[in-house]
Amino acid sequence: MTGDPILSLRGVSKRFGGLQALGDVTFDVRRGEILGLIGPNGAGKTTLFSALVGLHRIDAGSILLDGREIARAAPHRVAALGLTKTFQNVALFADASVLDNVLIGGLLRRDVAGARAFAGECLARVGLAGIAEKKAGDLSFPERARVEVARALATEPKVLLLDEVMAALNHAETAEIVALLRQLRGEGLTLIIVEHHMKTVMALCDRIVALSFGRLLATGSPAEIARHPDVVAAYLGREYVG
Amino acid sequence: MNRPLALAAVLALLAALALPLGLDPQGYAIRVVTLVFLFGAMAQSWNVVGGLANQMSLGHAAFFGLGAYTSTLLLVHFGLSPWLGMLAGGVLGGAAAALISLPTMRLSGHYFALATLAFGEVMRVVANSWSGLTGGPVGLSVPFAPDSLWLFNFKATLPHYYIALAALCLVTAVFVAIKRSALGYRLRAVRENGDAAEVVGVNTARTKLIAAVVSGALMAMLGTLFAQLNFFFDPDTVFGAAPVSIRVALIAIVGGVGTAIGPILGALVIIPLEEAANLFLSSQVAGLSGFAYGLILIAVILVQPHGLASLGRRWGRGRRGAP
Repeated sequence: MTGDPILSLRGVSKRFGGLQALGDVTFDVRRGEILGLIGPNGAGKTTLFSALVGLHRIDAGSILLDGREIARAAPHRVAALGLTKTFQNVALFADASVLDNVLIGGLLRRDVAGARAFAGECLARVGLAGIAEKKAGDLSFPERARVEVARALATEPKVLLLDEVMAALNHAETAEIVALLRQLRGEGLTLIIVEHHMKTVMALCDRIVALSFGRLLATGSPAEIARHPDVVAAYLGREYVG
Repeated sequence: MNRPLALAAVLALLAALALPLGLDPQGYAIRVVTLVFLFGAMAQSWNVVGGLANQMSLGHAAFFGLGAYTSTLLLVHFGLSPWLGMLAGGVLGGAAAALISLPTMRLSGHYFALATLAFGEVMRVVANSWSGLTGGPVGLSVPFAPDSLWLFNFKATLPHYYIALAALCLVTAVFVAIKRSALGYRLRAVRENGDAAEVVGVNTARTKLIAAVVSGALMAMLGTLFAQLNFFFDPDTVFGAAPVSIRVALIAIVGGVGTAIGPILGALVIIPLEEAANLFLSSQVAGLSGFAYGLILIAVILVQPHGLASLGRRWGRGRRGAP
């Protein structure tokens, strides 16, 4: 399970006006692991995801994907190098069909016909093969989140950042996604997830990185994080103290 | 394309090919239909940027005028065939489109419309002022040398009719090919959500740039057709916002933005409407023709906000009995 680092963050900093959204964030993501990113609201989780894929240009620091600097690359370059993400607030192409949404991701490495076929496979993986022809804008929130996952998978990433894709899912749906993520890890994909449901995060992740006010609070196994006094104080609350 | 649609397209094309048999080859009607084809083709090239990328350009006259002046000046000064001049104009039009696309591609909505409108107006002012090259406000005449295919010079309207029809078919074919290609999918993604498109690997800047260049190049080539058909033009006719830029946008919008049939339907409605308004009303009260024309346009847009093309879709749905 413990592979070499596939993604290395060194001193990643990002400021929005007077707000230090990310301050000197340094950690490694190991090849083939599921890494959980936790922290209270406003801790910088989504900002960090946006910085990693190149949507936010970081002010200082370095981001290495498989040894290559990606901190100043455009998002489409980062995607081509194998790093992409889903959007927390769901950013599908609402007017297009579900299949066409996923097809866009597939175009990164295939022609239209190849991307269409592959999009079908990706939809089947997230359990949405039945609604391929539906308009993306007409879907329920949980369905849209899964289309996001399928679209990201269609780019054939090495590292995939999932921003609250399990929000608003019921038990059965959550279990399906958890099973899918484990399967993807089994296939060698590296995953970084942000989720609010702590039990799921603790059960699913190999390691956890805790952020608070844009700074790294702690890194460790779920058990270590659950016991870490700073994390408990900042975020987890009494439930995990005992 | 489904069967009935393909059949309808073939029938429409056959009708267009046969139509001149019933018209006076020197007459007014054939000229109006020729203008329908030409403006349909212009609106179709606008549609690549305005429809597929959903960037509301109000400056396409810049490319149109550039094409008209390029081929005509090459013809006047060097005797170069307008067919070759058309290619030169297309290259210049594409280059100009790339030039204006780079600084404006981050703009959206109204800001993009205003920036492109300004660009078109700048070109008009330049053409008016740079008399040494363009002849200034006096305009430019195409040397009369009928009937030469090589010099794209015909006394009758009939050859222009078929050339304009071919242009409309070609530009529409380009539009459809782009729409179905990877570029078409990428444009659609960029239109709906640029950030999401980037993150899944779409080079949004390059995508918009290619669309702009194709659109500008096609528009410039159509400028040559207009020059050869009219034998005369001045900066206000080919670089004008109202007669070209806004008109082609209007044609595509009334017909149905982003659809292949939209600009054709729009031109079929708007060009004859303009002509009729001029013919029947301009002798009555000053401004009445423009007033009536505007009124009808407003009515069309109110009744059919997604363009005339959506009429067909609505009808098709109704027939199948779907909700």
